[in-house]
Amino acid sequence: MSKTFDRYAGIIFLVIGLVFVMEARKISHSAYGSSVGPDIFPTGLGILLILLSARLIYETFKYKGEEGKKEPVQYKRFLVIFLSAVAYAFLLEKIGYVASTFLFLIVAFQAMERGSWLKTLIIAAVFSFGVYYFFSELLGGALPGFPGL
Amino acid sequence: MDTLQFLADGFSVAFQWHNLLFAFIGVLIGTAVGVLPGIGPMSGVALLIPVTATMTSGLPTDAAAASSIILLAGVYYGAMYGGSTTSILLNTPGESSSVVTTLDGYQMAKQGRAGAALSIAAIGSFAAGIISLIGLVLLAEPLSNVALKFGPAEYFSLMLLGLAAVSGLAGKSMTKALMMTVFGLMLGTVGIDAVSGIARFTYDMPILYSGFEFLTIAVGLFALGEVFKTILERDGADGAIAKIHRILPTKQDMKDSSVPIVRSSLLGFFIGVLPGAGATLASFFSYITEKKFSKTPEKFGKGAIAGVAGPESANNAASGGAMIPLLTLGIPGSGTTAILMGALIMYNIQPGPLLFDEHPEVAWGLIASMFIGNLMLLALNMPLVRVFAKVIQTPKKYLLPIIVAISFFGVYAVQYTTFDLYLLLAFGIFGYLLTKNDFPVAPLVLALVLGPMIENNMRRALTISNGDFSIFVTKPLSLVFLVAAAAWLLIPLILKMRGKSVIVNEEE
Repeated sequence: MSKTFDRYAGIIFLVIGLVFVMEARKISHSAYGSSVGPDIFPTGLGILLILLSARLIYETFKYKGEEGKKEPVQYKRFLVIFLSAVAYAFLLEKIGYVASTFLFLIVAFQAMERGSWLKTLIIAAVFSFGVYYFFSELLGGALPGFPGL
Repeated sequence: MDTLQFLADGFSVAFQWHNLLFAFIGVLIGTAVGVLPGIGPMSGVALLIPVTATMTSGLPTDAAAASSIILLAGVYYGAMYGGSTTSILLNTPGESSSVVTTLDGYQMAKQGRAGAALSIAAIGSFAAGIISLIGLVLLAEPLSNVALKFGPAEYFSLMLLGLAAVSGLAGKSMTKALMMTVFGLMLGTVGIDAVSGIARFTYDMPILYSGFEFLTIAVGLFALGEVFKTILERDGADGAIAKIHRILPTKQDMKDSSVPIVRSSLLGFFIGVLPGAGATLASFFSYITEKKFSKTPEKFGKGAIAGVAGPESANNAASGGAMIPLLTLGIPGSGTTAILMGALIMYNIQPGPLLFDEHPEVAWGLIASMFIGNLMLLALNMPLVRVFAKVIQTPKKYLLPIIVAISFFGVYAVQYTTFDLYLLLAFGIFGYLLTKNDFPVAPLVLALVLGPMIENNMRRALTISNGDFSIFVTKPLSLVFLVAAAAWLLIPLILKMRGKSVIVNEEE
């Protein structure tokens, strides 16, 4: 349990709650034939979240200063994979499913562990072609398979 | 028509060749999901929704829904089977519901009895599956008949009870669990309001008009969150796998475990029916109970077969029991059943008391297919235990990127927008950070599924009462539900204040 994280999370959720209530007030109150409009439920939720976040922030002052043991965190590996996943999402419709999946898998496999290029290429190719063929040819689903198609 | 007639109809649905195939694929994938440490039943089911949606696209809606729910439920209870394999062979539980299995299961494996432990787990799970199904058949009709008399006020309170139960038992901090619940409800309000047609929190972005897709959020929070965690923290240091010598248990083993299997199945079933208390809790209780009833309690922890048979039966029975509130009341009691419910809603099929009247082939087809699925699991697991033990060795470096790719495929194939892919990644990070800091994400998903229904029922009830909120406490059943919901949240708090430790339900 990290005290700092909980405190920041509490503050962030508190702000979300506040913004939610303010924005909910802007929703029309009209409720055709009903006394309860579409703004009541969100407003109530926002208030609840504010109260709970305040409670969490209050709780963080009561924690004993126990810091969890730090596990080795592999930021670099994660960043490479995450950024290539973002690029994957960006490229999916641009260069098609097969090519983007193939590229993503190669980068991610190599980021996990360098080497064995042959295996990497084979698995990435089999997966990207396999899923595309199975899905759009056999099952008749729609995927942007290749650019220009 | 009576229950037996419906059940017979259900079997005729389940025995259609494609449904047999779907049940088979479901339990096979489920077992693999249970064996693989990276993904649990929740992410397994969530990931397969888009695949089943495409596979069933040619069928009429009802048949398609029946087929896909048969497959998805197969994954759910198949994972309960598979989870035991890693507990016994590697001393690392594949699912949180198999944590107690490691205590005696791994000891048995060290003594060269891995095969007996695995097969008794399979036999126990099978017996539990059948027992919980009988319970399901007996309870489904009467419960849904009671639920038919519910009005909007009763439904609103009942759903609050469901949320309270899950929040009260999830994770270490109830404040955090409640925050997640409320946040999930808030996410559920984004989009066009079903009652008035007014857009809320959309900021003129057309993509938000239909609201956040629950599938994207569930896959992000569970599957990607888990993958990110493994990429960041664990390194591929795999332990040695125990050898399997003899598969069949001895006569003595069977004798020692038959009573624990029956006892734990019943216990697990009733725990499963309770909302919020899932398979994990059931397996813990069963272990404690078996130790109490045992003539040789000192053997527990040193390779007692009852310590494997009991918890493994209990967690399977609980997954069957958890189907009852889902099918009869339309209220999921756990994260995984919330995802199953989301899948049904995607097919425009509303779980709940009307399900048995309006879509009997879905409800009874599912129940019947669970009989068949359990039989398949037994047939699969006894001879193939060695093969599944091999699955454990799938290298993480290939597995993790492929899970990411499957998540992308799944979300894109259903949503057709890049927006959902970004949303998926964002919720992946969100899920990792939250889970790491003890914010449970299961209540969030549950709240997201239940949110719109809670709001609609609240507003319908208030319309009936002309805006008078007292309708929720003047209707007797509704009052009972609200009191139960309050008790569910308050009793653990009071126990904690008295210094008693409370067993909490970890994510399953």
